[in-house]
Amino acid sequence: MSEKSPIKLSGFSVRLGERLLFDVDSFEPKAGSSTVIIGQTGSGKSVLLKSIAGILPSGPFTIKGNIELKGIPTYVDGKKAGFKTWRAIRQSGIAFVPAETAQAVNPALTLDQNLNILAPEARDLVVERLKKYFSLDFSKYAGKYPDEASGGEMQRMTLIFLLSHKADVIFLDEPTVNLDRQLRKRFAEFLNSEILGKDGKTILMVSHDIDFIRLLNLDNIIALKDQKLVAMDKLPETEGMKKSEEEAQGEAGLVLKKLSQGYLVRSIFGERRTTAFTDLNVSFRPGHIYGITGPSGCGKTSMVRAILRLLDYSSGDIDLGGQNLIDLKPVERGYDPPEFKPYRKKIAIVQQDSRFSFFPDLKIRDSLREIHDVLSPETEFTLDGVKALMKKIQLPEATLDSYPQSLSSGENKRMDIVRVLDSRPEVILLDEPFAHIDFDTRALVMKAISEYLDESKAILIVVTHEEFDLKYFIQTAYDFPSIVKSAV
Amino acid sequence: MRIICAVILLLPVLLAWIPGMSRTPLLGLPDAYWANLVKSFQEVSITLAATVVIAALITLILSYFSILYWAVGKAFRWILDIVESIPSILIALFCYAPVSVVLAKNPESASAALSLFVFIFAAVLTTLPESVRGITIPLSELYHRKYSISFRAYAFTKARILFILMRSRAMLDAIKRSCATILLKTLVLDCSFGFIIQIGMGSYGTPAHTSPGALIAANRDAIFAISANSARSPIMFWLPVILLIMVSLSFLVILSGKKEEAV
Repeated sequence: MSEKSPIKLSGFSVRLGERLLFDVDSFEPKAGSSTVIIGQTGSGKSVLLKSIAGILPSGPFTIKGNIELKGIPTYVDGKKAGFKTWRAIRQSGIAFVPAETAQAVNPALTLDQNLNILAPEARDLVVERLKKYFSLDFSKYAGKYPDEASGGEMQRMTLIFLLSHKADVIFLDEPTVNLDRQLRKRFAEFLNSEILGKDGKTILMVSHDIDFIRLLNLDNIIALKDQKLVAMDKLPETEGMKKSEEEAQGEAGLVLKKLSQGYLVRSIFGERRTTAFTDLNVSFRPGHIYGITGPSGCGKTSMVRAILRLLDYSSGDIDLGGQNLIDLKPVERGYDPPEFKPYRKKIAIVQQDSRFSFFPDLKIRDSLREIHDVLSPETEFTLDGVKALMKKIQLPEATLDSYPQSLSSGENKRMDIVRVLDSRPEVILLDEPFAHIDFDTRALVMKAISEYLDESKAILIVVTHEEFDLKYFIQTAYDFPSIVKSAV
Repeated sequence: MRIICAVILLLPVLLAWIPGMSRTPLLGLPDAYWANLVKSFQEVSITLAATVVIAALITLILSYFSILYWAVGKAFRWILDIVESIPSILIALFCYAPVSVVLAKNPESASAALSLFVFIFAAVLTTLPESVRGITIPLSELYHRKYSISFRAYAFTKARILFILMRSRAMLDAIKRSCATILLKTLVLDCSFGFIIQIGMGSYGTPAHTSPGALIAANRDAIFAISANSARSPIMFWLPVILLIMVSLSFLVILSGKKEEAV
């Protein structure tokens, strides 16, 4: 490995406002090596990776120091190189795989057209890899638009598109956030067989998913701790909170009876109706933590949206406190009928991507006020409860004065969970709530949710892919395909 | 810096409105030619300003209601697809056909006003499909893929969520890009239509209003007038060409904004 390192950082630091995210004295991974950077949520891992890859927006950050990529200076004394330099570097072969890979595709183009833009030289390789590692037949998706494939399918396809593009330096930013357990294993198998240590490729990945990292054949493990990069001999052990093993007791609060959910897909002759799942029978008792697991695209998120009454084509019963919610609101027309309105406050959700849970151009504090004014106009707005919860999960109060785009995915997620707990709902739906949160912080968040549950006896349903959540948090887990008659 | 560049490149349109400009020919150009040049840039600026205001307003309304009501969106998409399948020049010709007799019978000033009105209508029609698409795609993406679940769960109505998203920074950038596209397409239509009408009918522009494209067509043989005795100079051809390139570049400068974040 005498070849010069394609990545070289010296005295490189980034500040977000007054806050120092990291200060890297020197970082020079060997050419052809694979390195993972781990660290707490919000520690600045993704910002570091984006700086090196040249895609960090200059706006809110103060940058100092130097970076060289493939021997070309890309930051000199904190000043970013020009467009021509970056174009030359990109053309020489670098690939960046974002956390939300679906962002890499153009929604107005078909998947085939997207492939022709993202990896035009590797079409056959993409088709072969999708089939071999993810059991996906690309010919069935080629003519479809991105919104016609499920989140999991899009994640798999875009991962393969981006990783098949001819590149010898590859950056991966939390690549597993939308992959279920099985797919994570297959993705690890793919990385080990085709990418890591192959063809002199230099890999730099950031991830908090210790269980996934354990599956990979990586050369270096580095922690971003106290704003510095620290080399580690081995991965830290993961420990969560001790969960209660109590059986669910009492009357069921939320009962789904013979619930079926359909949706429309585009076809040659306009839209046609298809089925997400049929005959779902399950009940949830208050004060107990239920987990819903299952492969990507099996209908878990559709179930959550059906309970929220944000979908058409629902049939069966969604019984909450003796009232069938489908009768109250059979269709979604963009507003709620008066008889359903009280239920909006009773049911709360933390959606998969919490960056979109707050107003895009308002500070978190102002977003919370706006949301409160619509959801609970009869009560006075106060941040006391929010601040107490933030303290519990070690989220600094300064977060309230930040904009969503200046927070990390994990910080947005934690803020969203605080919002939900503070609104004191009767039913809490958490869709992949911990995917962006590191394991240490995750235990704190789980504890805060459990305490709320003990106190309020709310109903909690967690859709999750994570082994950690099942081990340390979920009391009763349902495998979604096994509780429905048929799922897509 | 980008704004300064755009303003400098827009100077031909801005200078045309300085009082007395049409009576002070520069570069030794003939008085009549200079007056027509200034008039053509005045009229093209009216066309551009009116088209961008009307088209942007209609675009915002159509985009908003297309996402708000699925059936409305489907109907407009069908209509705009048909409009887009017809070449812009033909649309402009179709728009002029019903009023051609009125244009011929009326005095020059009334004719010019009506002609401008018809042209603006044609320009709005031809720019709408692309500008509506330029707004509905990002708005639909923001609503359906990003904000609908959480904001609907907070009891915000779809209409209010769309209104909030329309005012977001991402959408304001999309609207700005859409306006620049409208301006560019209108300029191209105005000049190409003027060029064709001049060649076909010998008039200085669209049936009754002056266009830089028509001036270029009228002076196309001046590029060969290199003799000192010639009454026409090659600059009579190149000047409107250069000025139009400057104006087009200013719209491209606006369009190219946010490139860094789009990488």
